[in-house]
Amino acid sequence: MLRLIATRLVIAIPTLFAVITLTFIMIRLAPGSPFDGERPLDAPTRAALDAAYGINRPLLVQFGDYLSHIARFDFGPSMVYRDFSVTQLVVQGLPVSLTLGGVALLLASMAGIASAVVATRWSGGWPDAALGALATILTALPSFVSAPLLVLLFALTLGWLPVGGWGGVDHIVLPGVALALPVAGAIHKLLRAALADQMRGDNIRTARARGLTPFTIITRHALRPALIPVASYLAPAAAGLLTGAVVIETIFALPGLGRYFVQGALNRDYPLVMAVVILYAALIILFNLLADLAYGWLDPRIRG
Amino acid sequence: MSLYQVEGLGVGVVDRSLVHDVSFALEPGECVALIGESGSGKTLTGFAPFGLVDGVRLTGSVRLSGQELIGTTEVKLRETRARDVGFAFQQPLTALTAHRTVAQHLVESGAAHDRQVLRALLADVGLMGDGLADVLRRYPHQLSGGQRQRVMIACAIARAPKLLIADEPTSALDAESRAGVRALLRRLRKTRNLGVLLVSHDLAEVAQDADQVVVLHQGRAVETGPTRDVIARPQSVYARALLGVGGAESALPIRREGGTAKLRRERRNTHTPLLSAHDLHVSYRQPGWRGHRLKAVDHVSLEITQGEAVALVGASGSGKSTLARAIARLGPCDSGKVLWRGELLPPRHKLRTSQRQHIQPVFQDPVASLDPRWRVCDVVAEPLRAFAPDLTTAERDARVLAALEAVELGPDYTERRPQTLSGGQAQRVALARALVSNPEMLMLDEATSALDALTARAIVALFMRLRTERGLAILMITHDEPLARSLCNRIIRLEAGRIISTDS
Repeated sequence: MLRLIATRLVIAIPTLFAVITLTFIMIRLAPGSPFDGERPLDAPTRAALDAAYGINRPLLVQFGDYLSHIARFDFGPSMVYRDFSVTQLVVQGLPVSLTLGGVALLLASMAGIASAVVATRWSGGWPDAALGALATILTALPSFVSAPLLVLLFALTLGWLPVGGWGGVDHIVLPGVALALPVAGAIHKLLRAALADQMRGDNIRTARARGLTPFTIITRHALRPALIPVASYLAPAAAGLLTGAVVIETIFALPGLGRYFVQGALNRDYPLVMAVVILYAALIILFNLLADLAYGWLDPRIRG
Repeated sequence: MSLYQVEGLGVGVVDRSLVHDVSFALEPGECVALIGESGSGKTLTGFAPFGLVDGVRLTGSVRLSGQELIGTTEVKLRETRARDVGFAFQQPLTALTAHRTVAQHLVESGAAHDRQVLRALLADVGLMGDGLADVLRRYPHQLSGGQRQRVMIACAIARAPKLLIADEPTSALDAESRAGVRALLRRLRKTRNLGVLLVSHDLAEVAQDADQVVVLHQGRAVETGPTRDVIARPQSVYARALLGVGGAESALPIRREGGTAKLRRERRNTHTPLLSAHDLHVSYRQPGWRGHRLKAVDHVSLEITQGEAVALVGASGSGKSTLARAIARLGPCDSGKVLWRGELLPPRHKLRTSQRQHIQPVFQDPVASLDPRWRVCDVVAEPLRAFAPDLTTAERDARVLAALEAVELGPDYTERRPQTLSGGQAQRVALARALVSNPEMLMLDEATSALDALTARAIVALFMRLRTERGLAILMITHDEPLARSLCNRIIRLEAGRIISTDS
């Protein structure tokens, strides 16, 4: 296991380098600059700005300079949010995104796993059909439809929860649920299919021969290996959820990271986009490693 | 009152009846064997009364310690399974949940959660001693086949039931562990006064253990009685066939050595080799950073003439499958050449469609080698889509039916799916798939070793008939030398990738 972790960490370095290089090239190839606005700037101001942020130098020099800075965890100043460094912006937004994404992941996993187990327990019966249909609807429903509906019901009509903003625990509930719904639907679908597969195994007949109840058979003998496809799906999905969900953050006016992804790219705020992409890539690598470690726990035969 | 009494048991599914009117009784400490080939209903008879087979309808009466099982609720049956009866299944590797340790399996089966108790239980099934100190913490895949079966038996007897039902408990094991497990069952019968219901396809093997046998054929008990009597004086044709005693040949085709002289004559008449392989060499890279190459086939040459049957015989790992696949251009090949009627066969990815048609394979596990979602007619028709794309639907259907007929399957099989077929039927479908494109050579990769003895014999007879009728050449891969001798003109023995001897 330690060997797996060490190998992954070594491989992470060239992977991150490739991500950085490609993003750097792509964002610089995109037309426009951070200082383009409604009204074109006059030439001397423009030249002064370019010189101040160093984007008039040859690209290769800029790239080398950027690499040497991020090696020291200096992601540079934001070119659009003046007076802020990129690190400051990310440190402000990250706790919000991590909390929201974490809550959503937890809710989605609990709901998805519970509903798949219930559906399997009454396999072929009405709970199976109803939960399957619900999961399809949740997966298909975009968050810009489900989130306003949730707000309408729980915030505006019932008045139980705030409409938006960031503050106490009650502010997390609606965005967390809205973000979790499609993920819960996907987990249900994946797990239901994997459980159906597991329930056909010879070991299930052995478990029945021991006189176990159907519920025990599912949770104890079928669930663990059936979670393997869920782990494969959740690893990249978790990285996405934790680094910000643009639509949800916009609807609920949350100060998370998601808006930096979109606004950074639209504004050509080069250092901001780079930082967010690097964070996302690092999380993807981390979660894929966690998924690989999870496989070994879910099925000891993989450990060898 | 008997410990376990079955009277007039019938098992059926929606539209047909699978087991009819089976009766037998089992006393404490006694062993009764249910004998039959696959599809005979022996497993249904053994397990269905305990609610372990879904979607079946039961009739008759089954009493365990006087308690009627048929017609009781699932909750009652669950209690019975937990308390009064133990089960051991055929494949201990797949039958034990992989992510549960031995200790967890035992505790779940009703053993007290106490180290001392668990160790005593394991000692009772012969799983204590050197190198087994940590056996409680191990997962099933970390045990040998025999050890796994002992764990399964320990689970079955954890609540000290009076009855053990064992489904082919030894057939997945090697000879040594097989003897060990059989001795264990004998000992448990004596020490615990345990009644054992043994489900098996092998009458000769259970003969030494069983007090009574019930021989099942097509869902009926064709013979019931004390083992000694059945073995000495089998009454039914079927039991005779199972025992392989006189008069059985007429009922079931079994090929003996007599035909080889004729085969040899046939061989002398044909001179052009159908296929010749020169200096084939295949190696695999072993895993790891700079894995060494493992020689699987080491510069082997061989020739096969038209209508000839050649067997490649060897232990597992001797390279026989790799060699055959290299010859048939189905697997990798490092160097050497293969000539088909004197024409060079290029490597796999450069083969023309017409060249692929010559050699068709039939593999070991018939059910696994067929796509479960496909109907039989789709499976059989598939090669035609590649080899004869110009056929009309009607022509294609006719070819499919002809191929099925050649393997003795009627037109009613076309709509069925692989799961609904027995092993023998599935292998016939695989053979029909191979035959439909009119190949000149068949490659049989352990084509009968996943089948029980009787089905295997019927399939071998079918190969023989096809060979004579169609002049098919056969390249057969097997570890079963007697089988190879009865079917083939030439036997090539392989060891470590080299030919060590050739018999003709």
